[in-house]
Amino acid sequence: MSALAVLLPRQPAAVGSEWGAARMPSALRSRKTIAALAILGAVWTAAAWAAAPVDRPSVLALAVKWAPLIFGGFLFNLLVSVAAMALGTAAGVLLGLAQISLLRPVQAASWAVTQFFRNAPWLVLLFFAMFLLPFEWRIGGVTVPFPAWLKAMLGLALPVLANVSEIVRGGVLSIPLGQWESAESLAFSRRQILWRIILPQAVKRMIPPWMNLYAILTMATTLISVVGIQDAMTLTRGALVAEARTDLYLPLYFMLLLMFFAYCYPIARYTQVLERRFAVRG
Amino acid sequence: MKFGIRLVLGALIAVVGTFGAAAQDTIAKIKQRGTIVVGVKNDYKPWGFLDPSGKIVGMEIELAEDVAKKLGVKLEMIPVIAANRMEFLNQGRIDLVIATMGDTAERRKVVGMVEPNYYAGATNVLAPKSANLKKWEDLKGRKVCAVQGAYYNRRVGQLYQPDLVVFPAVPDALNALQGGNCIAFLFDDTLIGSTLAGGDPKWANYEMPLASEDPQLWAIGVRLTDLDAPFGKLMKEMSVDWHKSGRLLALEKKWGIKTSPYLEEANKKHRGS
Repeated sequence: MSALAVLLPRQPAAVGSEWGAARMPSALRSRKTIAALAILGAVWTAAAWAAAPVDRPSVLALAVKWAPLIFGGFLFNLLVSVAAMALGTAAGVLLGLAQISLLRPVQAASWAVTQFFRNAPWLVLLFFAMFLLPFEWRIGGVTVPFPAWLKAMLGLALPVLANVSEIVRGGVLSIPLGQWESAESLAFSRRQILWRIILPQAVKRMIPPWMNLYAILTMATTLISVVGIQDAMTLTRGALVAEARTDLYLPLYFMLLLMFFAYCYPIARYTQVLERRFAVRG
Repeated sequence: MKFGIRLVLGALIAVVGTFGAAAQDTIAKIKQRGTIVVGVKNDYKPWGFLDPSGKIVGMEIELAEDVAKKLGVKLEMIPVIAANRMEFLNQGRIDLVIATMGDTAERRKVVGMVEPNYYAGATNVLAPKSANLKKWEDLKGRKVCAVQGAYYNRRVGQLYQPDLVVFPAVPDALNALQGGNCIAFLFDDTLIGSTLAGGDPKWANYEMPLASEDPQLWAIGVRLTDLDAPFGKLMKEMSVDWHKSGRLLALEKKWGIKTSPYLEEANKKHRGS
């Protein structure tokens, strides 16, 4: 069909046959969404193709020409998202556990930190990370560079940390109190109850919101283009500047959108599957 | 609001900067590192823009290459935007700014501007012929697209009071202009000239209707502490050289910019002296 359709995760027709309807009842809806998007892209490309004058390269040719560079930028966005998520999760789990601590000061402090970063705009946190952290550290006599993308990653990890903290707290609190009480009556210590009884049950409930958070983070990584980092968004803009073609504007951004969609949509679908699987019955 | 953000960031950077300020001479530092780090534009054709391999090319990039060659070091380019180039320079993340930076009195308080200036542009607007603009005053109260951080935004905003709609980059603003979100696009006159002459049929019904105003010199930026130090002096020498040898005129031609009267005059002046 069109080159844009190639960017989709799989051929629309293949979706239903590979993912059995029994395992994934909503596969049909998913297939429709993808098909609709593919048709939209194809129509758009065809329209742009038809509109392009003969003596100049077509929009499609230009999109193909710039696709490798933009895709490289997209992979960089993914790298930042994975790194920020890993860091944010590690710190967020600790913070979340601190929130359910029995020590009043620990609980209060972790609650304050969580609320602060959870309710701050991501872009503002990013600005603080970018401009407050030095660009290089001097450790002993050695100068260690502190690249911008690392700072951006830290900046994005801050809201992730706070959200993970809330997910952990909420997950633990969602386990019925009876579980705690019966474990206590069996003479488990608080630590044992938490690690052996509560957390194993809570983790299942934490995973879907955690994956949601990851998908949101991935899409939010385009924010780093605002602080001057060469991500997919910046490169798309760079391509637009270099070509100086106004008819390229929407198709190129649409190509970028498709890359993110192809990555985030399956995550969203799988999250829903997990949510259903872990749904509390009765 | 934007000014407020900058003020806060500026204050933060000043605090951070005092820790990082090094007394070491910049040339020695660059040579020790083996690399000069230059802040350039990658979204401002033809001064600095991307090619499909991701390399930054353009007229200003060639100037940066000249500087690296002169110092005998490798060139590393960091793409900057108007909102961060002076901060990066003062933080020490870059050694030099060659990024379409207008030389204004206000900016001279923050960074060192290398003279003689390597380019001069003037301000005009790109507008559909149907907007029927005749004079700058016609912009009053009407929506005019502009690009973030451009030096002429403030002046035009104060003098003619248009309703400025500010975009992060040129393509966004051009797209908004074509989408009818504004009646004109406030921009550099040489670039409007090349856009109109580019032969894109989408610009066939557009024009540059006003008399160009506010000739503005562009400058290479160094840290204020470097301006009268060896590094700043070297940059001044190179700048004189570029004018004298006709290098700037040749580059202008190579990158398809209409020959600017400023460069012609400067060339004559420096050759004469």
